[in-house]
Amino acid sequence: MTVSHPHSQFPWLKARFRAIADPWNAIGVQTQFYGHTLRSILTAVTRYRVELFRLIAQMGLGAGALIVIGGTVAIVGFLTVTTGAIIAVQGYTDFAEIGVEALTGFASAFFNVRLIAPATTAIALSATIGAGATAQLGAMRISEEIDALEVMGIRSIAYLASTRVVAGLIVVIPLYCVGVLASFWAARFGTTVIYGQSTGVYDHYFRTFLNPTDLFWSLGQCVALAIVIMLVHTYYGYTARGGPAGVGEAVGRGVRTSMILSAFVLVMISLAVYGQSGNFNLAG
Amino acid sequence: MVASSVVGKPVRALGGFFSMMLDTFVALFKPPFAWREFVSQSWFVARVSIVPTLMLTIPYTVLLTFTFNILLREFGAADFSGTGAALGTVRQIGPIVTVLVVAGAGATAMCADLGARTIREELDALRVMGIDPIQALVVPRVLAAMLVSLALSATVILVGLAGAYFFTVYVQDVSPGAFASGLTLIIGSVDVFIALVKAALFGLSAGLIACYKGISVGGGPAGVGNAVNETVVFTFMALFAINIVATAVAVKVTM
Repeated sequence: MTVSHPHSQFPWLKARFRAIADPWNAIGVQTQFYGHTLRSILTAVTRYRVELFRLIAQMGLGAGALIVIGGTVAIVGFLTVTTGAIIAVQGYTDFAEIGVEALTGFASAFFNVRLIAPATTAIALSATIGAGATAQLGAMRISEEIDALEVMGIRSIAYLASTRVVAGLIVVIPLYCVGVLASFWAARFGTTVIYGQSTGVYDHYFRTFLNPTDLFWSLGQCVALAIVIMLVHTYYGYTARGGPAGVGEAVGRGVRTSMILSAFVLVMISLAVYGQSGNFNLAG
Repeated sequence: MVASSVVGKPVRALGGFFSMMLDTFVALFKPPFAWREFVSQSWFVARVSIVPTLMLTIPYTVLLTFTFNILLREFGAADFSGTGAALGTVRQIGPIVTVLVVAGAGATAMCADLGARTIREELDALRVMGIDPIQALVVPRVLAAMLVSLALSATVILVGLAGAYFFTVYVQDVSPGAFASGLTLIIGSVDVFIALVKAALFGLSAGLIACYKGISVGGGPAGVGNAVNETVVFTFMALFAINIVATAVAVKVTM
């Protein structure tokens, strides 16, 4: 609580100082929230198991109008099908320009796994379960349900934020599998059925260059991204204020921040895992 | 009754969206054009989008050039990394990042703003005063989304190429001259033009979806949050679908 003074000597100086200090403090508060959420994961798993299972079921299916179009799984599947199809459309024609359209299968195995599937899954996660979590928590915050939880002696961060992080972590694994299979399928379908490449040629190059280790790293990337995304989104929901309009703004801000952070996390992990040499051999 | 509402609601929402779209296109050519709102909305969307644009373009370009250069080095063709950077930035990263920013930053902010006005019953107040909210609010917003999306697409391409240059030249030790001369090998003005057309389409559809979700907000405190959430999902889906169709059309046109 700040004590209000009747007058202060240098109001402009204080205002200037606050303009610099407040954003800096906000980062600290945010980091503190993330630390608290991660520390409370154990509590969430042991004490609030029922809530956790409920959230897992809900996140897999999505909430509100999203259920109607098939839930989170269908959305992730749809987005990765379109990005996989880009490989067929763009990759095939670009390779055909230099006469190596046979390598489209290679492009699917290489770019899908390393770039497109993790990035698209991250975007889809942020848009569906991430933004959904912000909207839910924000609505709870402004209708003072979170304060009510605290009053009842329930640890609100463990009950609301940590459970969502764990649920996101579990839900992303099947979602990633759906996503990566959908992008493989779309690239193969586009190349072999629409552009008429023989399936044998496509499968040969696809299988030769599909590296199982890369797939595991790609899954690992997605899990890390899911944690980051859920942390950011629960923070913005948990701290929403300013009535119903504030919830909408919080959702928007959550999506912006989580997209930026997930892009950076993706690059960092990619550079760390694949390294300068790229961990890649064309000649075998 | 329950079954009819489950089926009826999304169908009605789709119908509502298309009717709003038609209203918007009609109102576009009716005389009093809301210039002031158009300028302030353009500034608003640009302001919320510019930081995400820079912060998303740089990592994605670095990632793309990095992955692509691994490949080129393996062929012994690192000198062509400029070509790869131009190809990736203009044809893929440009449109994709524009999609992400327009849907994730622009459309969410626009929907939250318009949704807040709807639940404060400002739209009803406008109607009472005889002002058509479509003409006064939706038309300038959709046009602003288009304009900003065009500008963002150009920004993404410029920042992406600059980022790729620094990464390739200073981190991966490719000579600057080779990078620069490779830039225009495959990518020409036609591709840049296509990227801009795509961006305009993205802005148009994202603006329409955000406005529809914003003016049809309802249902208590969770309403605006859910509307923004649905805006993100629907714009992503629509924009990814438009991207693939536009890419296929562009490939047919340039061949």
